[in-house]
Amino acid sequence: MNEAIKISNLTKSYGTHAVLNGLDFCVQKGEIFALLGINGAGKTTSLECIEGLRKYDSGTIAINGIMGIQLQSASLPKYMKALEAVKLFAKWNKTSLDKAALDALGIYELAKKPYYQLSTGQKRRLHLALALTRNPDILFLDEPTAGLDVEGQISLHEQIRQLKAMGKTIILASHDMAEVENLCDRIAILSGGRSAYIGTVKQLGETIGKHYNITIQTESRTEKYESENIGDSLLSLLMQYKEKGETITDIQINRGSLEQHFIKIAKGE
Amino acid sequence: MGAFLYGVSLQWKLDIRSKTLLITCYIVPLLFFAIMGGIFTSVMPEARDTLIQSMTVFGVTMGALIGLPPSLVEIYSSDIKKVYKANGVPLYLGLVLTNISAYIHLFIMSIILYIAAPLVFHAKIPQNPGKYFISLAVFIAVSLSIASIIGLAVKDQAKTSMFSIIIFIPSTMLSGIMFPMEFLPKAFQTIGKLFPASWGYKLMTENAFKFESLLPFLLIFTLAIVMCNILLRRIDK
Repeated sequence: MNEAIKISNLTKSYGTHAVLNGLDFCVQKGEIFALLGINGAGKTTSLECIEGLRKYDSGTIAINGIMGIQLQSASLPKYMKALEAVKLFAKWNKTSLDKAALDALGIYELAKKPYYQLSTGQKRRLHLALALTRNPDILFLDEPTAGLDVEGQISLHEQIRQLKAMGKTIILASHDMAEVENLCDRIAILSGGRSAYIGTVKQLGETIGKHYNITIQTESRTEKYESENIGDSLLSLLMQYKEKGETITDIQINRGSLEQHFIKIAKGE
Repeated sequence: MGAFLYGVSLQWKLDIRSKTLLITCYIVPLLFFAIMGGIFTSVMPEARDTLIQSMTVFGVTMGALIGLPPSLVEIYSSDIKKVYKANGVPLYLGLVLTNISAYIHLFIMSIILYIAAPLVFHAKIPQNPGKYFISLAVFIAVSLSIASIIGLAVKDQAKTSMFSIIIFIPSTMLSGIMFPMEFLPKAFQTIGKLFPASWGYKLMTENAFKFESLLPFLLIFTLAIVMCNILLRRIDK
């Protein structure tokens, strides 16, 4: 079995609002897989259902390995020091401290700092270290770089790549296309509580090659058009403007970005 | 077992670092003892007979009701509980560790009072110290169990303080430590018996264990355990 996680027909509603509406995807062992979606798409709900932190209504979740979880919003007692927290969780999970991993995450530098004195980036690193105390096969990271500065993001991305190199399967939720493009092997874009797209970022990029944005400016107005057949569309638009007797002052033709494409899929357009 | 003991020692350290617990478990009770002990023994010299018990009932009630709930609210009404659950730490651990740590702090404060009261105010030492300390142990456990309900049921710090004070004031005022119970109106005597402080004071001032004095503790403690269990399940949902 090469699947670390297999989700089938997962549903979850809050009252009458259906957040997950038959979600399906699987994550292969050793890959970095991202759940993408706009705010409220159900990324955190999906993760929390898989992690066992939230009950789901129907569907099946199969997990093949020990899970380590870094939550999007996480906290610890105000006066608990970083290394004390790691020791508590490691002792409770009957695992030994992975000193190399703690060193890589810079936990020893933070060892004596109480939790309330840590910066956002330091807290993210500490919670990643806590997730590693179970020596997990599968690591869940919910918006891992939210609130981090550029330096913090680069550093955390490097640590995530190192974890993949160690053979960990990583599933992360994000709404940052650049982060996903930079890190992930495959992605699932959530829309309407389902997977609207599953595949590699490269495959998603290839579909963009056929997609064009056309901006036509006249003396009185600016109009934007979208097309997958640039030649025919442009000819047709020029004819329309000529028939109306409008003088074109400028034409711009751009390929759509990965980000725009993601937003379209995520919004179900 | 090693993980549990590490958890207890860590919670003990966290409580020492937290000024709240230091104030509610040590500074205020000992300050109250220094001032009120002087007043009581000057105004009513016979107060020396029960000074250790009355000051201990005040200190334990204060430390438990005002000191413990904020620690529980910090854990159970925040993302801390999710971090515990997500990383394989059982939800009840926070409750157990904070209670054990508070228990030790309150016992230490009670021992300080037991030693200081005879030295400073010539207070009378209980006739049967063994029985006194067993009564104290029971009283601290039951007081903490009531405080645990507040800490688990209430979701923010401001409301926690309000509920704690609502229980703390009648607990101490109607327990018999300020004014003898028999001088209080009948209705106040009845209300006073709803709180463990009045039973704690009675138990610690009696010379022998009586079943009717222990029964209220057993009932309150059992009810509190059931309530805490229900509240923990509700939090876990």
